[in-house]
Amino acid sequence: MVLSTIVKSIEYMLKRPYTRLVPAKSRPFKTERLRGAHLLDMSKCTGCSMCQLVCPANAIDMVEVEGNYPQNPRRRFPRIDLHKCTYCGLCVEYCPFNALYMTSITGFELYTRDKKTTLKTPLELSKVDPSLITVRREMLAVKEVKPGG
Amino acid sequence: MAGSYTVYFGPQHPGAPGNIGFKLELEGERVVKAELIPGFLHRGFEKMIENRKWENSYVLSYRFCVEDPDSLEVAYAEALDKVFRVEPPEKARYFRMIQAEFSRIASHMFWVHFMAGSTGLRTPAYWASAAREEILKWFAWVTGHRVYHNFSVPGGIRGEVPEGFGERTTQLTYLVEDIVKDVEKALLGNRVFKRRTRGVGVIKGDVALKLGATGPVVRGGGLKYDTRKIAPYERYDKVSFEIPVGEVGDSYDRALVRFREVYESLKIIRQAVLEVRRGEPYRVKVPLTAPPGRGYARVEAARGEYTVHVVSTGGRSPYRVRFKSPSLPLLTTVLNYILENEEVTIADLPVIFASLDPCAPDIDR
Repeated sequence: MVLSTIVKSIEYMLKRPYTRLVPAKSRPFKTERLRGAHLLDMSKCTGCSMCQLVCPANAIDMVEVEGNYPQNPRRRFPRIDLHKCTYCGLCVEYCPFNALYMTSITGFELYTRDKKTTLKTPLELSKVDPSLITVRREMLAVKEVKPGG
Repeated sequence: MAGSYTVYFGPQHPGAPGNIGFKLELEGERVVKAELIPGFLHRGFEKMIENRKWENSYVLSYRFCVEDPDSLEVAYAEALDKVFRVEPPEKARYFRMIQAEFSRIASHMFWVHFMAGSTGLRTPAYWASAAREEILKWFAWVTGHRVYHNFSVPGGIRGEVPEGFGERTTQLTYLVEDIVKDVEKALLGNRVFKRRTRGVGVIKGDVALKLGATGPVVRGGGLKYDTRKIAPYERYDKVSFEIPVGEVGDSYDRALVRFREVYESLKIIRQAVLEVRRGEPYRVKVPLTAPPGRGYARVEAARGEYTVHVVSTGGRSPYRVRFKSPSLPLLTTVLNYILENEEVTIADLPVIFASLDPCAPDIDR
């Protein structure tokens, strides 16, 4: 029995390792629908505060932004604290105007000791690369509306 | 002759089951009594859930057991289904089963680390990690997250399953089975493991059940007690599977039952995956305010039976949420029963802890 375990151990040793050195040698594990840091579309957001209301971690607060936004006369947009965020995606799911998205930015890119850098202002959230978007509202919204299954 | 004395064991001890302490009464090397010192991880989860609204309360419902979160997620979702009086679509029911079973396997593979570590056999534990890693990758692919998936919600599941779901899930079950077979052979077949676990921590199934325990501890003692069979939830009544049981009820039998359970879980997943098809409805919309009433769910998690009781008075938040966890009786009544009826030394204690497999945050909440 011990011999067979040793043979098996050698087999496993020859296989590709499961552990990966992040970030030194490889990137964090990404998938197509990974729920990572947010992207805000400031041309759609009306400042309705739905994301703030639904956030279970109280990571979102609404702040005023300079500029001209016809759909958002009070110019109030969400500011997200990525240190508090649990990445549950409820803000994306409940946003009535499809203004919030989630991207594949996660892992060591967010890790920092300086909490000021993870408190993302609306302008910072809107400057994220749209090609990284992974989660949209259509993916989470309810298709079947009638109760009863 | 050695005298009797008191020793504190844990919370920072490699043999302690998580962040939890014990006050041990010793006579020489023999442990006579163990008094549990819980509370290091207490956060008031039930109150936190009660202070949140229906739509975001479930984000907290599974966060107190890292190893097996999905059974809790399914339990809370099922309790809320009863509160809202909605019937989730069939696809969601079957998906929840797959989710819970994969979570059980991942939890058992994590347990191999504790069991193997307490008996000094580190190698198979790393192979078990490979199986767990493959399952976590599958979870990241389907739900978007590795550990806390947040996918079973009141009214169904949160999103459509990705393309190629059936093939990849079935492939994964065969891959995991291969690894688990290797781990089982290396761990249970090892002479050192047998000597360390046979006849250590004996408790019969019916005694364990009377003392409040559920799960592999009861089944290891030879009693066929499984919530999935005696009170089927989701669609466990539509799939065929066996309940593996042990004979003696010692630590070896409990380990054996856990490995057998993994094979049964894989069998359930292979049957359930046929019913999860893309394009079918997966979620029913639930209102923002729940009608007055109660919701009660029992699920068979990796460590035993979880029960969730939710009371609604018709408001925007739950009035009362209560979780009953399977881990507390394991470290209080069951452990003291073993210590009273058997000569347990300090060296055997980590083996007994690992074979009972309690979850410390689950006790404290």
